[in-house]
Order: sequence, then structure tokens, then C-alpha cells
Amino acid sequence: MDITVVHHPFGVAEVTVAGRLNMVTAARLREAIQGAVDDHHPNAAVDLSRVVFLDSSGLGALIASLKAVRAAGGDLRLVAPAEQAQLVLELTNMSSVLASFDSVDAAFPHD
Amino acid sequence: MTEVVTRTVRLSSPPDTVDTVQDLLATIWAQTPGLDDADRMAAELAIVELAANVIEHANGGGDIAFSLSIVVFDDRIEATVTDSGSVERVNLDDRAMPESLAERGRGLPLMQMLSDSVEHHRVDGSNHWTVVRARRAASPRARRSMPSISIAGVIDEMARQRALDDMGILDTPPEERFDRVTRLAVQLFGVESAAVNMIDHDRQWSKSLTGRGSEELARSESMCTVTVQSDEALVVPDLLDDERFAEKAKPDLLRFYAGFPLYAPGGERIGAFCVYDSQPRHFSARETEMLRDLAAWVQQELTVSQELSRASEVQQGLLPQKLLSMPGWQIAGVCIPARAVGGDFYDWYPVGEGAAFTLADAMGKGIAASIIAATVRAVLRSAARFADVVGAVDAASAALSIDLDNAGVFVTAFHARLDMDSGTLTYVDAGHGLSIVSRADGSSQRLTSTAPPLGVDPETEWTQQTVDLDPGDTLIVVSDGVLDLYDGTLASLDNLVALAMLAQDPWEMIAAIRARARGFSADDVTVLIVRRDDAN
Repeated sequence: MDITVVHHPFGVAEVTVAGRLNMVTAARLREAIQGAVDDHHPNAAVDLSRVVFLDSSGLGALIASLKAVRAAGGDLRLVAPAEQAQLVLELTNMSSVLASFDSVDAAFPHD
Repeated sequence: MTEVVTRTVRLSSPPDTVDTVQDLLATIWAQTPGLDDADRMAAELAIVELAANVIEHANGGGDIAFSLSIVVFDDRIEATVTDSGSVERVNLDDRAMPESLAERGRGLPLMQMLSDSVEHHRVDGSNHWTVVRARRAASPRARRSMPSISIAGVIDEMARQRALDDMGILDTPPEERFDRVTRLAVQLFGVESAAVNMIDHDRQWSKSLTGRGSEELARSESMCTVTVQSDEALVVPDLLDDERFAEKAKPDLLRFYAGFPLYAPGGERIGAFCVYDSQPRHFSARETEMLRDLAAWVQQELTVSQELSRASEVQQGLLPQKLLSMPGWQIAGVCIPARAVGGDFYDWYPVGEGAAFTLADAMGKGIAASIIAATVRAVLRSAARFADVVGAVDAASAALSIDLDNAGVFVTAFHARLDMDSGTLTYVDAGHGLSIVSRADGSSQRLTSTAPPLGVDPETEWTQQTVDLDPGDTLIVVSDGVLDLYDGTLASLDNLVALAMLAQDPWEMIAAIRARARGFSADDVTVLIVRRDDAN
């Protein structure tokens, strides 16, 4: 799995995950988002369009990160989840808690 | 229902992770292009959740070894994980998702949602998890009957593998007693090939193969894998004409197949006896009967090997298991039977301020000789408790004479007692004559014998002799099979004396003799060595 973090204005961190988000890689996502929070980018836009596989461990990392960014006054929103990730979000009733948007700009519009 | 792909792997975490599992799944999906995306995604997620649960919980988060089997049928996908973790409280009925901000607890509910059947069984100290996902294109009837098929299949598979492992036949060299049956089958039926195949984890292995084909084959390509699923003959006149097997047909090798299952002693189907040909062929009811007879013959040979290997374990167990603790002395022995069991044995045990030693050779080889050898050992052991050397041999001779006479065999034996302080060895040699003392100064002394073997003459007056073992001396007693490792004559004893001079200790001598005996075992090879430490 690859994670890239790109900082945007207004404290938005675009976190792009590619590959499998599972038990092996979940911790790395948490660390990446915590790193962005520590760099004063508590608004995490997590791009899941290139995630080929998400499981309950990956989902757990997303929820833990959601709590972390909220504690820092930010939010975590998903961008364009791939088909399998979308399926997992729906099966676990998490699509309302972890809202999905088409793009980073749509996730965190600069008003 | 046709099996499309089967894979079994053994994993241990660490280093293996769910990534290892997913890499395996990727190779399976590559082999199953017809699999619907929804079924593939559901199965992968369910299997990964199961594996993650085992890795995380089966051993309380510590190191864990487990096996994973995945079978893709045309109507369903089955995965079985077997781990040796402790029993955890398993509640598979709780399918509710945890509250929304919980970070854990979604794995098993997800697995439930995505599967049509999830079962957990605790058998023989292991956890067996089976997850079944029905393929959505499959008929509703197939889906209904699924769980029972699945569990029966898994239990069969486990029992088959264990029974096969217990037989110890896998990867053993070819044996004439099996080869003659496959050769005969080829001639009898006029087919190109015949084989005795075992179904091991994810491969088929041939104990005997006459004709074409390879000794090892992926299980997904094997017809015998199908045969072991039932007690019936599997006869396929033309694979290309049968949609169940068309994919397994191979030009120039496999168009016609007929096979019978083979069984382990416990009744588990472990393999098949089969004939096959590159041309389609009619196989009559009479031919099927003949094939059954040949399979029964192979079966009998398999059963004999199993019993022999048990007997072999028992016989090795009769050799002294404990080292003798005698300060100033080193004692070692080895017994390598020419067949699974043999008529030789050596023995030692503490007696008074020293020890008793025996090396004996019952006439003949194999099972008959081994029964006699075990009897002689027992009788000598009990007699030695109450008498001196000559008394023990006398008592044993009297007790054995009727048995040996009835069996029409005799036994050569060297029985001795050593006083460990003085180094005096008192012995009776009953027609054995294969003992020599290698002296510290490089000379040697054969311990000759004029007494007959046990079982020849019940009236024999046994006499005992003595020899002193001084510091640096080595007593070597062997069976005649050892002579065959050299030139076959008594001059071979000189080779042993030379070996005693060169070797650091008795175990090095044993290792050298063992190496020489490897792959060259016309007769039982038995050696007993008693060495007195050098004076310091």
C-alpha cells in the first residue's frame, strides 16, 4: 500500500491511499493522518479511489483517525471510494458517519 | 458440482500476514476468470476477516501457525482455516455491528453477512473454521444443500491428510510390489498408463507409475482427487465428452480414465489406483471388476506396509533407550534392519557394579525373525536378574529350546557382564563368534567360540570365559550383516579394529558404520561397542 499526503490551504490534507487497506497497513494510515494533524492540517480528505481492498481493520483506522481529527477541531471525509470500499462502508452502515464526496474540493469547499 | 481450483497453504504469523492470504487469493482469482466480481469481493473480504481474526486472537496475539484451504467450485467458494490456538469463546450468532464510532468488532459480523455459512468446530485441539460463499449464479438447490456438504468435505479432507501422513508413504522410493501391479494393469487392459496415486495437500503424488505422466501433479489437474471423494469406481470413457472433466483432458496423455479409491487402515480414502489413456475407450463392467481386484491387491500391499512400519517402531523401542552411566566407559550400539523389522538386537542394562550386554541374531530376516528376537531378549533379560552370565544363558536356553525347536530356527548370541571397576568382562558366546577386542597398543584379540547357537542342542553345557578390558581397549560385537559391509569374511573384523583406532569415540564408529550401511542392506546390521577410557 502507498500513502501520499498533500497539504492544501485551510488545513486540508489530501491523503491518497493506493492498494490494500487491511490489518497490515491500517496503522500506517493512522500515522499519516496523525502526522497531518500534528502539521496543523486537521481536515483529512482521504482519497479511496485507488484502494483495491478495505476490511474491518482498515475501517477501524478510518474511524480512529476521524476521532483524532475531530479532537483537533477538524474532520475526516472520504473522496471517491472504489467499488469494494463503498460496499464495505454500506454493509457496516458507516457511509453516513464517513461521508463520501467526489473530490477534495467537494469534501472541503472553501467558502 | 465441479471443483475448479483448490489451494492449501500453511502459514505462520509472523511473518505471514493477511497480505500473504490476499496474495494467494489473487493467484486463485487469476485461475477463475468466470467468477463474478461480487462473489469474488465477498469471498475475499470474508476470508481476510477470518484470517485476521485467527492471527489476532487465536493465540492471544502471539505467534500462530495455521493452514488455509480454498476450494472454488462452480457453485460456491469454500475456505477452511485450521489453527492450533486456544479455545476462545466463539459467538457466531452475534451478527450485530458495534456502535458507529467503535474502532473494532466489525470483522466477524462482516464475515457473516458475506457468507452463506460460517462454522466453527473444535476437533483434536484445533479450531476449524469454514466459510462458504455460494456463487450467485448457482442454482438455489445447490445453495440449500451447502453447509452439510461443506463440513463433511472438510472433515474428510482433514482425516484423509492425517491418515496419509501417518502412513509415512509419501515421497518414499518406488517399490517393486506396487510397480508389478501397475505394469500388470497396463498389459491387462491394453492402456498406456497405470498408477498408484496419493492425494496430498495440494498435489497428487505417485507411489507407482507405469506409462506416461509425472510423479507429481497439481491437485486441480488430478482425476484421482475426484475418485477419492467416493467409494465407487470413477470411469470416464472420454473426458472431452464429460463437461465435469473436459478441462482435465490432456492430448497425448489423458482422455480415458478409470480409478478406484485406496484406503488407509482406518478407512480414510487417501488415494486411488487408476488406469488412463490418451485415447477414449470403452470400459466394460467386467473390466471394472478386474480393476477393483487389482485395486484390492494394491490395498493389501498398502496395509502390509502400514503394519510393518508399526512393527518397526515397536522393535526399535525394544532397543535400549537409555545410556548407561558408567564412569570411565563409553557404550554405543546401533541396529539397522534390512527390512522394516529384523532378527538382530542388542541390549544393555545395569547389573550390580557394572552392566550386562547382549547382541543376538535370530536366523532369517523380517517378521518371523523379529518375533524370535523379541522373545530371546525378554528371556535373557529376566534370567540375567537372577543368575550370573552362564546361569542366565543356561536358563534362557532351557526356556527357549521348545519355542526355537518348534519354529525350526536358532539364534546366535553374545551375552556378557562387565565389572566396571576391574574391567573384567565375563561372557558366553553361543555360536556367535563375531566379537573382537581392539587393544590400546593397536593389537587385537578375537573372542572365539566353540559353543553352538541357542536352539541347536538343549543339552549344551555352557561355559563362560573372561577377558580384561584395559584403559584404551574397545570391545566390538557385530552381527554378520556388518561383515557384508566389508569383504564378507572374518577379515572384516580387522577393518573394525582399524576403525576403533581411528575413531574418537564409539559414536563416531557407529556413524561410520551407519554411513557404510546406507542403501546397502542385504542383511540386518547390528553393532555394540564398549570402550574403556584411556588412562590419564
